[in-house]
Amino acid sequence: MSVSAELLEQYLLTGLMIGVLYIVMALGITFIYSIMKMTNWAMGEFYMIGSFVQYLVVSRFLGPDLWFIAVPVAGLSVFVLGMIVERVLIRPMFERGMEARAEYATVVTIALAILARGIVQIWSGPFERSPGSTMPTFQIGPLPIAGDRVAASIGGLIVLALFWFVVKRTWVGLALRAAAQSRDGVQSAGVDVLRLDQIAFGMGVALAAVAGALLASVYLVYPLNGLITTTKGFEVVILGGLGSIPGAIVGGIAIGLVEALGAALVATNYQNAYGFVLVLIILLLRPRTGLFGERVRTA
Amino acid sequence: MTRTRPWIAFVGTMALLLTACGGAATGPLASQAPSAGAPTTAATAAATVGPDIPIGLQTPLSAPGAVTLGQQIQRGAELGVEYVNTVMKGVLGGRKLVMYTEDTQGQNETAVSGYRRLVTEKKVVTTFGYVHSSALLAVNEVAKELGVPTISSQASAKDITAKHYDIAFRTHLIDPARANAWLQLIKQKGWKKVAIIAEDTDYGVGLVNETKSQSQAMGLNLDLQVNVVDKTAVDLTPQLLKMKDFKPDLVLLIASAKQRDQITDQAFQIGLHPAVPMLNSNDEPTATNFWDLHPKSGVGLMTIATFSPKQKLSDAAQWAADKYQAKYNEAAIYASLNGFADVVIIAQAIDLAKSTDPKAIIKALETGTFKGWPDTPVTFPRADGVNWHNWSPPVLIIQFTKEKQDWREAPILISAAAAK
Repeated sequence: MSVSAELLEQYLLTGLMIGVLYIVMALGITFIYSIMKMTNWAMGEFYMIGSFVQYLVVSRFLGPDLWFIAVPVAGLSVFVLGMIVERVLIRPMFERGMEARAEYATVVTIALAILARGIVQIWSGPFERSPGSTMPTFQIGPLPIAGDRVAASIGGLIVLALFWFVVKRTWVGLALRAAAQSRDGVQSAGVDVLRLDQIAFGMGVALAAVAGALLASVYLVYPLNGLITTTKGFEVVILGGLGSIPGAIVGGIAIGLVEALGAALVATNYQNAYGFVLVLIILLLRPRTGLFGERVRTA
Repeated sequence: MTRTRPWIAFVGTMALLLTACGGAATGPLASQAPSAGAPTTAATAAATVGPDIPIGLQTPLSAPGAVTLGQQIQRGAELGVEYVNTVMKGVLGGRKLVMYTEDTQGQNETAVSGYRRLVTEKKVVTTFGYVHSSALLAVNEVAKELGVPTISSQASAKDITAKHYDIAFRTHLIDPARANAWLQLIKQKGWKKVAIIAEDTDYGVGLVNETKSQSQAMGLNLDLQVNVVDKTAVDLTPQLLKMKDFKPDLVLLIASAKQRDQITDQAFQIGLHPAVPMLNSNDEPTATNFWDLHPKSGVGLMTIATFSPKQKLSDAAQWAADKYQAKYNEAAIYASLNGFADVVIIAQAIDLAKSTDPKAIIKALETGTFKGWPDTPVTFPRADGVNWHNWSPPVLIIQFTKEKQDWREAPILISAAAAK
């Protein structure tokens, strides 16, 4: 089929915009894995909680014009919630030097995901909600893009920058990077690695919550809206390499582009399959690490 | 390790408990959604002339199903049970109806297991309330073995009745009537290029095929661009850009629940709609939360509707409409009226059959004439093709012309008698 340059440009821009949103969804998953070496399957539910906090704060207190104030509120409240969850549900497995602690912790997050969905469904009902948006439509090149979508992408980039700053320029970030390289090494240097786990878990789920808050008016608010985040987040993380932040960035953009181009140029009904095909190809080529993951050195 | 397992067990147990009661909604943001599997309390008064008669409501009450429709049907059905047990003084000389509810979630496997539970554990004599065509088609494959009839309250795929199963009945608009209505509009407006975006379900693909075949039969010579999309996809911007590039005269949106809402907004965001007229294939936009979700993108949207306040209601439906307004502080829409009427029809069929045996009820439904929600009789003859065991309401196309417009005040573009 023939596609005009303008239309192709529109598809690419759409793919990039979707890709940035995928990066934000995936960042928390890969960050938690890099520190704790466990997979948090409840990530989508923290995304969902973030979107609900955004909805409640905007619809009940701030109004759509001040939506941006609600985003840090969602991030901070879920950061605290994540710290509590880690302390109560995850840490007991890490405290006692269990053999398969990461596996047990992962199972707990699966149960936690079902629990969170159930609680929110009981509390809110299954209905969709939207915090609303008063932002105008922007014209980016040939593509008209809704203001809330642009704001979500810019917000995502700001979150990425903040995240980079914390990880690269603060003492906590230094400690977290050290823990990602060697938990035993950090412990032997006198750092409380369990405390670092708690901070990492809180930061990871706060990233998901910020994604949920930023996307609340774009993809709507309902108890199961985190499912797609979990799916896309893991797709991105596996493509980019578990624990690799540059991998999450490249993976998010790649999947956004592949989905947009595939749905527009190949077949419309396999949109969700294109990303998985890309993941399969990358895993065939780099089966152990994805695009940017590193092999773990063991003693 | 011994201190870790209790935590896992605790969280796991809580999760399983919550999964078991998924769909229940009683909290501050909930709007009186149901608890699955529990009988309707209004119907559990002690009977003195015989045991209560169980009927089964199967409708989507949690995602990914069309929950707004499911809730509307459930509200109507609850009023139906109340009407039968109080105004009609019960059935078979005073026995009460009791309704058990199963949430289908719009999923085939959930619907099938729910149907089995209703029939084998609750011993229901009839089931109704179905919304998703794929789910009901799956249920009917089991129902034809177990023999308890199903009534489609809002599932429209042709095959539901076209397969001519003894147990399959319908009180909803069929695909041919729906497609015929929008093709009449297309003909009236002189539109030639139509871009269709449809979910990849029996509902979506069935309506695409019906539109193609009827447009050929009508000699409309339409230039159709068909985009079938994954029902679970949330960002359809690439497909909508492709549709915009097609420069259509009309966008036909055949999707339900969240995907319909997302497409409506995304089409608006890229400037496809309302620059190009968009027609929605079902009457969900008449639900109360429509303008909360689409304060801007809802303007100009055309939508299929099956009930207009200008239609005369039966005395039973007028009772229900008044009760509904008083109870929920909003007007009853078609889904609620159909949920109500289905219960009343089941009660009349049991009385006509003088039995609660599903086979006798099927016979009564086939031969009887019943009071439904319109002021016209309802019948389910063993007719040809899709009209087998089928009663269709009239079909309308309305258009929202301004923000927050009440659907009852929206102009009617097409008013067609149902294909029968």
